Amino acid sequence: MKISLIKFGDILTSRPAGRDAALSLKAYMKPKKNELIELDFKGVISVGPSWLDEFLAILREEFGKKRVIILPTTNPSVRESLRVIDGKN
Amino acid sequence: MKTQTKSQIVKIITKKGRIRPSDLAKLLKITPQALHRHLKSLVAEKIIQSRGSSPKTVYEIIGRPDLEKIKDWFCSSKITQNPSDISETRDVFQGRLNKFKDLKKSLQSDNLLALIISTTGEIGNNSFDHNMGQWSGVPGCWFNFQISGKFLWIVIADRGQGIFKSLSKVDASIKNDDEALKIAFEKQISGRSPERRGNGLKYVLNNILGNENRGIACHSGRAQICYGDLGMKCLKEMENFPLRSYGTFTLMCWGIK
Repeated sequence: MKISLIKFGDILTSRPAGRDAALSLKAYMKPKKNELIELDFKGVISVGPSWLDEFLAILREEFGKKRVIILPTTNPSVRESLRVIDGKN
Repeated sequence: MKTQTKSQIVKIITKKGRIRPSDLAKLLKITPQALHRHLKSLVAEKIIQSRGSSPKTVYEIIGRPDLEKIKDWFCSSKITQNPSDISETRDVFQGRLNKFKDLKKSLQSDNLLALIISTTGEIGNNSFDHNMGQWSGVPGCWFNFQISGKFLWIVIADRGQGIFKSLSKVDASIKNDDEALKIAFEKQISGRSPERRGNGLKYVLNNILGNENRGIACHSGRAQICYGDLGMKCLKEMENFPLRSYGTFTLMCWGIK
């Protein structure tokens, strides 16, 4: 299941906004058993680590870390945010 | 003689920060007409720039930020009304981050824009995360940016409790403002413990140190710190700010050309 993050805005910053986005997604998204949750940042201008940390934490808790995948992106704010959240690119 | 006068003008403007042509003419003891010729030439050489319209025009060295208004707001002992640069709530601040989109043409790089916005967003959101109910006077954070010469200057400031007061609640071993400021940038810690936070300023630091043409200086309580190749440049701009026991003031400089 592919999730287009641009639907939440093209500038994604702050923890409250990340939490809100994840809770909203969780409420309306019904993936099949073991289906991957693919996060697509296409069109998003900028993402902060606070937003992404909060967003990922909720989805990973719900679906498990292995099922939540970030699709390849050249956006450096996504890559750098992941680096501080997970300690890797 | 002409070159000598021009170099004197540059020296005076560098020392004063910015100056009105009438004051400059008095100091140099030359006619306004002669001064105007020198100023025009220095502007054409992209050494100085004018700001404001006549009769309030001032001249300043290109590449420096205008921090006069923020200095008045940040350093005043009492504030009763907020100027328009203040975002009183997080939502207003978030909305104003959209103004960065206007820089797309000047930056000529979507990657740089992505990092500038997210870095500024982290710092500004910290103002709200750590100062809700703790503001000194009026709530909110100051946020603006300006391009001067080859640099983009970004100011984010608040009149909140300051980093030391926030962090010392979760780590009583932190002794003073200096220690708190260093720990905030370099270690994973948050004044919002037990919430799992504390990576925002690490992200900021990674981005600043990731390129030689960037810098940041932060002033909180009675301490100051700077990072990056342009960090000292930022700190120098803040040198006339009196130290205050409250609030946090951050100045970033990004080389853009």
